[in-house]
Amino acid sequence: MENGGMIDPKSEEVAIAVRDVQQQFNINNQQVQALKQVDFSIAINSFTLVYGPSGSGKSTLLNVLAGLQPPTNGKVTVQGQDIYSLKPDELAHFRANRVGFMHQTNHWIKSLNVIENLSVPLYFLGYSRAKAKKLAMIALERVNMAQYAEKSPLVLSGGEQQRVAMARALANDPVFIIADEPTGNLDTENGDAVMNLLLTAQKEFRRTIILVTHNMEYISLADHLLKIQDGFVEDIPSTDRSKVMKRLLHDVNQRIEHLSEVKKNAKAI
Amino acid sequence: MQKLSSKKYDSIPFSVMIFLAWKNIATKKLRSAITVLGVVIGIGSIFFLLSLGLGLQNLVTNEIIGNQSVKSINISSPNSKIVSLNSENVDRIGNLSNVENIGVSYSFASSLKFNGSEIDTITYGIDKPYQDLSDFNIIYGELFSKDAVQDAYLNKAALEAVGLTEDLEQVVGQKIDLVIPIKSDADETEISQSFKIVGVIDSGAGSEIFIPSVVFEQEGVEVYDQAKLIVSDADGIDDTRKQIESLGFETTSPIDTIDQINQIFRYFNIILVGFGAIGMIVAVLGMFNTLTISLLERTREIGLMVALGGRHKDMRRLFILESILLSVIGSIIGIILAVIAGGIINTVMNQFASGRGVTEGFDIFATPWWLVSGLIIFMALVGLAVVFLPARRAQHINPIDALRRE
Repeated sequence: MENGGMIDPKSEEVAIAVRDVQQQFNINNQQVQALKQVDFSIAINSFTLVYGPSGSGKSTLLNVLAGLQPPTNGKVTVQGQDIYSLKPDELAHFRANRVGFMHQTNHWIKSLNVIENLSVPLYFLGYSRAKAKKLAMIALERVNMAQYAEKSPLVLSGGEQQRVAMARALANDPVFIIADEPTGNLDTENGDAVMNLLLTAQKEFRRTIILVTHNMEYISLADHLLKIQDGFVEDIPSTDRSKVMKRLLHDVNQRIEHLSEVKKNAKAI
Repeated sequence: MQKLSSKKYDSIPFSVMIFLAWKNIATKKLRSAITVLGVVIGIGSIFFLLSLGLGLQNLVTNEIIGNQSVKSINISSPNSKIVSLNSENVDRIGNLSNVENIGVSYSFASSLKFNGSEIDTITYGIDKPYQDLSDFNIIYGELFSKDAVQDAYLNKAALEAVGLTEDLEQVVGQKIDLVIPIKSDADETEISQSFKIVGVIDSGAGSEIFIPSVVFEQEGVEVYDQAKLIVSDADGIDDTRKQIESLGFETTSPIDTIDQINQIFRYFNIILVGFGAIGMIVAVLGMFNTLTISLLERTREIGLMVALGGRHKDMRRLFILESILLSVIGSIIGIILAVIAGGIINTVMNQFASGRGVTEGFDIFATPWWLVSGLIIFMALVGLAVVFLPARRAQHINPIDALRRE
């Protein structure tokens, strides 16, 4: 990625290509434009960091990428396949086969133990219980959680749960892993451990990582930055990374100053 | 990495679906147990009552029909002056295509001298085929052999009438004297003859004596009182009866009685099922409640499964499977408990009856396989109907809404 994160969309190296994507929602009879005009490509085996303020359309973008939300307009292509031209059942198979998803809050099937929860995407791919368990165990060993295989995921700590969720995202051998603020509910130590796992997935297992985060300190891990604001996605060249950092620090300073103003005015009232 | 556009792919194996459904039922132990209990009570009570109804029906049918074959037809003449049941007509009936065997009997009022008393009896003169078709319930000795002329057997009622109730072995071999007045068109004669007792049978409430029909034939009696035949094909019995009736005779068959018994019990069973249906309503409401609560609780889990690659129809099927599992488990347990309860009641009733002198054991509960499998299938269908709405809602859960953070 010598050209600063920008890649030729037609290249074989492209994992995901997003073209002219728009997303409208109809909420209480009001048109809401969540994604206005989105174009970008993500290279195979890259680590993409998506950042932007709350309500900027991050979640919508992730759902569109994960094959959960057909866009109002535009195309999402994964390894040359226009995923929203697939029939609903084929799209479900795409999710089971190609996407690993980590959420901020962990979701589990409460009646299943850790290893069975990990097996769920494999079940939907048609694996028998025994075969799925074998594959899920490999994924669980990768995150050093094998000893918890027969436990309920609900008794694990937040950090442990995130590691298991990571294993679940790896178990089905996906093309790309979407991590939606996976460190949001964790302390720094556990957060770093999750980041470490994501980096391992990228470097060792050759996965494509898409990370959404508010914690801008992770910016150094990424080799591709996407800034999302007001429904527009901006591809930030890696050469501009220091500029971004400066602007972020500047924004933080500004915000601190703004809040102290607010505090003063509040007292005056 | 594999190619994406492969059209053919595997979906979740059925065994794994059952595993997921079972896991959810097993995790919610108390709720599942109460739901199953509802089905147990509903199906158990219906099974218990129907099994009682069918058992009583069998009991009554056996008591009335006894050993009579449903393939048999009894023939008599409504007016012997117009059509008489003579050997010519019997031969004609015997030659009908569906008739396998035909026998005849005479019957006359008579007086019997035996053991020092003289009583009025009915004497039947029967031939060998008639005896074979009648399935007499012999309690001591034997029936006629083929060429018997001097042999007779009588029923318990006749023995009681002459004051003999015990020592049946002493009765056999003794001589009896019979006087039988015979009325024919021209003159009145009588048969006065001795016979040797060969057996005792259990039939009827009045005194009855059976002697070979040859005795009457030798006296020139031409008109039989009754003929009995058996058909080779039970399905053709109606046609055969019509053919015989067209000759001017009257026919009866055990099937007539069975039809009447069945008709009475049809209404009886409907009433029993009506009582059981009250239990079913409880079961259905319990199932619906459980499945609906399960749906609300698991909205997020279903969203998660869809996000992880589950198809929407898989979610519907998961709910259908859970409902059918609850139904089938509940109905099997219900039927087992009903059979056990019926067995206990039946044993108690039998002991009570034998304490009052009933020697033969009886069954007031019937457990036919068609009832067992029919009720299980019926409950599975009820489960399908009950789960219709929850399953449809499960199918339409949107994973994005379900997984949205609070």
